[in-house]
Amino acid sequence: MKIRSLVSMTAALLVLLAGCTPAEESAERQFFAMDTVMSVKVSGPKGEKAVETVCSEISRLDALFSRTDPDSDISRLNAAAGSGTWTTLSGETAEVLTMARAYAEETGGAFDVTIAPVMDAWGFGTTEETYQVPDGETLQTLLPLVDSQKLTMGEDGTSARLELAGMEADLGGIAKGYAADRAVSLLEEAGITSALLNLGTSTISLVGSKADGSPWRVAVRDPADESGTLCVLELSDCALSTSGGYERYFEEDGQVYHHILDPKTGAPAQSGLSSVTVVTEQGTDADVWSTALYVMGTGEALDFWRQEGGFECILCQADGTVLVTEGLEGKLNTEESGDGYTFEIVRR
Amino acid sequence: MDTPLRSSAAERTRPTAWDGAVALGIVLAAALLFWLLLPRDTGGALTARITLDGTELGVYELSTVEEGTLVAVEGARWPITLELSPTKGVRVKETSCPHGDCAASGWVDAPGEQLICLPNRLIVSLEGEETPKDFDVVIG
Amino acid sequence: MSVRRLTRCAVLTALALALSVCEGLFPLTVLFPLPGLRLGLANLVTVYALCRLSGREALAILAARCFLGNLLGGNLTALAFSLTGGLLALGVMALLLRVRGLSLYGVSMAGAAAHNTGQVLAAMAVLGSGAPLVYLPPLLLCSLVTGAVTGAAAILLVHRVPDFRFS
Repeated sequence: MKIRSLVSMTAALLVLLAGCTPAEESAERQFFAMDTVMSVKVSGPKGEKAVETVCSEISRLDALFSRTDPDSDISRLNAAAGSGTWTTLSGETAEVLTMARAYAEETGGAFDVTIAPVMDAWGFGTTEETYQVPDGETLQTLLPLVDSQKLTMGEDGTSARLELAGMEADLGGIAKGYAADRAVSLLEEAGITSALLNLGTSTISLVGSKADGSPWRVAVRDPADESGTLCVLELSDCALSTSGGYERYFEEDGQVYHHILDPKTGAPAQSGLSSVTVVTEQGTDADVWSTALYVMGTGEALDFWRQEGGFECILCQADGTVLVTEGLEGKLNTEESGDGYTFEIVRR
Repeated sequence: MDTPLRSSAAERTRPTAWDGAVALGIVLAAALLFWLLLPRDTGGALTARITLDGTELGVYELSTVEEGTLVAVEGARWPITLELSPTKGVRVKETSCPHGDCAASGWVDAPGEQLICLPNRLIVSLEGEETPKDFDVVIG
Repeated sequence: MSVRRLTRCAVLTALALALSVCEGLFPLTVLFPLPGLRLGLANLVTVYALCRLSGREALAILAARCFLGNLLGGNLTALAFSLTGGLLALGVMALLLRVRGLSLYGVSMAGAAAHNTGQVLAAMAVLGSGAPLVYLPPLLLCSLVTGAVTGAAAILLVHRVPDFRFS
């Protein structure tokens, strides 16, 4: 028996065991905000306080952006629509609305915060409504109200107004991403180097890597199976957002109607995509672009990806083809994928 | 008078193959123990934790509840009743909340799964011997 | 017990105590956080006593070392730990020394493993719980290294100091 080989073998085992030392302290909290359940997990000794800060910041933003609270910035803005008066807003609300206008232009109208009247007509607006298919006439009268250009920002930068009576803004497609970015900057200010922000399953921000230094493993849901996995991404320091028709939908006369409405037609987007996941640096970008790409459909979405240059995406088509942009190639794991999916890497 | 042990071991200066056998025996014993001590997915210690708007209302160990135990969630804005079962897990039996999504999701029975009623701000989370997951979070 | 035997037992006990104290100055647990992990240099004395003296004397030295050691800087629980471990190691080593074909490497490794097993058993008895058992597999693996080191030292000791003669 070679003592030396025995010793080196044992040393290797010991190194392995040393890797199993108890996990570092971490703080985690679940809370309700923006009509969903959010969870924040922060590693490190200052985790508890950081989690507290993030929770209260997101609740504060929720109170500004809510459409159900009559005193919120957005409710006051909507109530004053068409009256010609300016609504004074908090800095954050003004910032989000300004960004939303820019996104509407950038995405060629595939994303529009003034879609609210049409969403309400379908019953997708707020939590406590009943779904219905609006008739064509109703949609035709509502569609002119969907126009971000008629959302005017005041010169002072802290006020806004909606030019037409009946117009309404809904930040549902941007608020979580914006909140994620605010939360991430608070965490970074607090010196946190590892955190996972799950703002309601469709919007996730990752600060740094896991406490053990390995990348976070994010499973993308299989659009066809609630508990299934489409693929797993290994990522650190980035934001992700997924949009899929499965999140909210209803059936009427054998037809499925989902909640992602095309601002141009006022009807659920029929783009041949069943889910879109965007990976990028900023949560706001991820949140908005995932919705916009879903509305655009594969061709336009890939054009936008080539032109924008600052993000990667996974386009899961209804036919089972999953298009993954090249930047995600080395981070993608498809071992756990549900049956019937074929993956293709898209190059620039 | 005691005499020293007559030992051939004491005379040797180099390790022998039998020493290797002893070392191997120790490694095997360690490996066997390690394997025996590995946490087993018993599924027995599954507990349901009920939280209403941030306040914990109760923790139920599912293996000890009787089949068909009903729990009315006190203080819920819309009355909601949960059903606990040692075999099937937890489900929302009846709810008067506007969505009803929570009741539609049926039984949940695996550690890490949750039932959520948004209008009531109610979370029922199942905890237990965590089966190792291959990922940290699900997006979708 | 003759004066000569008493004296050599006393010298070896003092040596064992000194080795224990030395070892305490450089705790292995700093390098590797595992409760109960130590080099076990005092086991050297047990090996030597078993080879060059007798089982009874080895036992006497062990008992004296444990009592005195814990009297100096320990408590009753620590005494239970070291005594259980030490006795088990002594028994296993006394047995293995009779086996042909082994060298002191194998004997020492088995002794170290037995010592760790004894400690964990004592901990389980004191705590009344099976929890300490999880430390045993890593401790057993460590005992291969510590046993080999003390085994090498024991070979030197037994050969260079063939017998105690007070002349």
